[in-house]
Amino acid sequence: MKAWYDTAESLKIALAAIKANKSRGVLTTLGIVIGILAVVTTMTAANGLGNTFRENISTLGSDVLYVSRRPWVVTGNFFQFRNRKNLELKESKLLERRLRRAVAINPSSNANRSVKYRSNVMEGTTIIGTTDKHMLMTASTPELGRFITSFDVRFKKRVCVIGSEVKAKLFGNADAINKRMKIGRDSYRVIGVMEQQGSAGFFGGPNFDRQVFTPITSFTKSFGHRNRGFNIAVKAPPEVSLADFEYEVIGEMRKIRKLRPAQDDDFSINQMNQLVSAYNNVMGVIVLIGLVITGISLFVGGIGVMNIMFVSVTERTREIGIRKAIGAKRRAILSQFLFESSTICLIGGVVGLVLAFGVTGLISKFLMPASISLPIVAVAIFVSILTGVVSGLIPAFKASKLNPIDALRYE
Amino acid sequence: MALRITDVSKTYQMGVEEVHALQEVSITIEDNEYVAIMGPSGSGKSTMMNVLGCLDTPTSGEYHLAGEDVSKMNDDQLAEIRNQKIGFVFQTFNLIPRASVFHNVELPLVYGGVAPAQRADMTNAAIGKVALEDRKTHKPSELSGGQRQRVAIARALVNNPAIILADEPTGNLDSVTGEEIMAIFDGLHKAGNTIILVTHEKDVAEHASRIIRLKDGRVESDLVTQRPESRFGEVLA
Ligand SMILES: Nc1ncnc2c1ncn2[C@@H]1O[C@H](COP(=O)(O)OP(=O)(O)OP(=O)(O)O)[C@@H](O)[C@H]1O
Ligand SMILES: [Mg+2]
Repeated sequence: MKAWYDTAESLKIALAAIKANKSRGVLTTLGIVIGILAVVTTMTAANGLGNTFRENISTLGSDVLYVSRRPWVVTGNFFQFRNRKNLELKESKLLERRLRRAVAINPSSNANRSVKYRSNVMEGTTIIGTTDKHMLMTASTPELGRFITSFDVRFKKRVCVIGSEVKAKLFGNADAINKRMKIGRDSYRVIGVMEQQGSAGFFGGPNFDRQVFTPITSFTKSFGHRNRGFNIAVKAPPEVSLADFEYEVIGEMRKIRKLRPAQDDDFSINQMNQLVSAYNNVMGVIVLIGLVITGISLFVGGIGVMNIMFVSVTERTREIGIRKAIGAKRRAILSQFLFESSTICLIGGVVGLVLAFGVTGLISKFLMPASISLPIVAVAIFVSILTGVVSGLIPAFKASKLNPIDALRYE
Repeated sequence: MALRITDVSKTYQMGVEEVHALQEVSITIEDNEYVAIMGPSGSGKSTMMNVLGCLDTPTSGEYHLAGEDVSKMNDDQLAEIRNQKIGFVFQTFNLIPRASVFHNVELPLVYGGVAPAQRADMTNAAIGKVALEDRKTHKPSELSGGQRQRVAIARALVNNPAIILADEPTGNLDSVTGEEIMAIFDGLHKAGNTIILVTHEKDVAEHASRIIRLKDGRVESDLVTQRPESRFGEVLA
């Protein structure tokens, strides 16, 4: 309790000192403002990217295994997969017959073609041949019209479902349903428009809004069957763990491909989590670099505060002498200056935070959905106070160690 | 609460030269004594007061305050002694410019850990003793020199310390104001405090019952006046 009274006094002096030197304080806090603004914006941007990514990736389904020739995320030598055979459509049928437990199995293939409606062209669009089962694999659904049906697949219908960006590019605001558009050289009828997935196909990842879905049968007819690789999506039943089910899929695929025990798999099993962890690795490094850079700006701001605190201590040398002469202990003087420096930094931090809210507003308006979360606010506040304490420590320590007589004599 | 310094020396190192501000000074001052310290400029009066007031530590020698060896104490222990046992009045007042009269006087209680309610009572009492009740909210810059010194005295006695030290308390004041200040010290002495003050002025020294003269950092004379009424004649004639 006793310690409390001089602490309250220290806080009072600190606030009075800041009030008395407003313009100096403003200049000093500028470094902290910029530092906190940078830190918060970095973290918010990273968060926003992460959310966009997760939203995008959720299209893949968390309980779906994707069998393909190459892994999605390649570590090491890319060319080791060169000699692998493509997956064939009939392997998908065999797998379906063997994996009775699977909820659904969906073969798909893709190609890049220009799509065209009247004079509107979109180059390099990803055309995906798939089946009605696609709807079981993903969370995304058509916003308008319908998806491909088994009927479309069976009768090789020239119909397509387009992504939101394709719709916007080719049809603008006009109705797309039942319009005929060109995919490559062939004419397809639009039967559905997918809902928007997310704005960014960043890091070269797939942009789900720039895709066009067609029945796999008409796809192979239009774009060829020979040398075409397929991917097989296998939806795991809810009662088994994905890891166990993966063993099952591997086992059946090895049987289908007649691999001897000594032979390595000549196919890869992918799942959403691999992309997530690959993303986390990449993002972790980017965020780290971002934080180091912004940390440097905060450090520079902290140096500015330290400098001002030295000035403050020197200016108040006589006052420190008076306080010590009438019984202020070292801790009381120390806390007086630590309060001053951390309050300066806290004010800077709060201003930085307010600016960061503005910047985040701009980001979410023009770039991607982003918002400042409560933990980020807490971190920003904590970091700014910490910066204040750290940069005030040496000046405060110097003040607390002053000999009362020397301090009183200071002119 | 007797003060006893034994063979106290204070040496300042000025480049290669050593300044001996105090040289093996030994003095004992008993409770409720009224002591004036005199001597020419540079004789070590302030140095001795600072040692007695625990503001400074001697280069060598011992200082016992109420039986406790002060010369072995650390910074914070000395701060506590200054806060609890000693009230110090400076020639240049040494008030905190931004703080009000009330807050200046209250400050030793704040650092002494006295609860706010009790603090206000003690502060008001101390301000009452120097008759500044109507100046409580003023800043030091809004006061006359004599009023400032009264604030400083109120601050020195707010904690009811046994010992009041004053280094030339009237040095910056005219003689009439100086007499007012000395009247306050006389009252404190009557109330039982030990008073030690440094002065150049005979009229001021006249208030004390013992006069210690320093010269070149040594005690030149140490005289006790038996009858306060005739002190002037006896000591200074
Ligand atoms: N911090 C210091 N550094 C160096 N020398 C000092 C210091 N303080 C005092 N001195 C020296 O010590 C000696 C005694 O100084 P002191 O202040 O005690 O004198 P004084 O008797 O109070 O004089 P005055 O009557 O002028 O106030 C002087 O010679 C002074 O120059
Ligand atoms: Mg002096």
